[in-house]
Amino acid sequence: MNLERLMDLPGAMAAFTYTDKGELQSHLIREGNEVTPQVLGLLTRSCVANLAIAAMEASGWEAVTGQGGFQPLQGFSVVGMEWSVVVNGNCGVIAKNRDVDYEATFIALQAA
Amino acid sequence: MSLKKILVLDGVVAVCRFRDDGVIMDAAGMLPSDLMERLAKFSQWYRRMVSGNTDLLSLFSQMRGWSPSKGWIVRGATMTVCSVGNMVCLVENAQSSLNEIMQAIGEAAHE
Amino acid sequence: MHIVKQLMAIPGVIAAGEFAYRGDRFSYEGALTNEFARMASILCRANTLSVNMQSEIFDSFSENCGCRPVQGWITRGNQVTVCAIGNIFCFIENRKELLNDVMTIMRAKVGDVQDDLLVNLYARIGGDTKEALY
Repeated sequence: MNLERLMDLPGAMAAFTYTDKGELQSHLIREGNEVTPQVLGLLTRSCVANLAIAAMEASGWEAVTGQGGFQPLQGFSVVGMEWSVVVNGNCGVIAKNRDVDYEATFIALQAA
Repeated sequence: MSLKKILVLDGVVAVCRFRDDGVIMDAAGMLPSDLMERLAKFSQWYRRMVSGNTDLLSLFSQMRGWSPSKGWIVRGATMTVCSVGNMVCLVENAQSSLNEIMQAIGEAAHE
Repeated sequence: MHIVKQLMAIPGVIAAGEFAYRGDRFSYEGALTNEFARMASILCRANTLSVNMQSEIFDSFSENCGCRPVQGWITRGNQVTVCAIGNIFCFIENRKELLNDVMTIMRAKVGDVQDDLLVNLYARIGGDTKEALY
């Protein structure tokens, strides 16, 4: 996982990886940010939870409606006031909202 | 039911009744007031979240019996937090009977 | 123009609508049946509650960290994406640049979502914001 490349994404403030249980494994945080490793550690736990719930929702929706195209999941994002966190698999990016490119970020995380 | 009747149950460290906006209505036990407030707020959010996820499960499984959700339990290594309705309890696992505590806070929640 | 109509005018937007706290109050346009829209409303409510709770927790550990008030969320599927800002939701095809455009429009039209969750979820669709949740 090349965190440096993820940090090149528009608006990237931090990039990180985590275990299947949500334990923070590695991270890069751009200087001058209020994001701390402690907050990242909490965030990664919630990332795992959110991806699990989203996967459940995708599976349930397809089963009940018969519609396709939701699975397999390609990621989840929480849009905050000033920044968004975008995650897929075992890695994620925090990006400033004014610069974020959601699509490029999802694609980059997909390739990771 | 007075909170004290729940507090005397084995293992119960603190018990709290909270309002829909997370404000404490009544509290008892060995927890500093700021932690009690955090417990109440956390419980209010967790209740909403569990309710939302239970409705989803109900929707997707088409099974009866999930919704409306009654409560939740978070079981830690030595401590447990459990809630029914608008009652939440902090419990030490050793020597506590979760069944008994859930029953008691369940009855208190409906008063 | 109402945000839902504006979104539906964009090629690649499958459906868009509003959801309230209770899953039985919603409005929508697009390729959903009434029942699917009701389900979408319940799903959106669950995710919105969840991310709101998470942002409160983050905020209690790191005040003014830029997360609160949370604005919305995105679920990226294989070919379809669901996104929500405030109480507006949108189902879109995964076409190039569409998600960015939709998010920009939703954030601009909905405006900054403020802190009071119930006010947000009832703001446009009507309802008692002081209504007890249970």
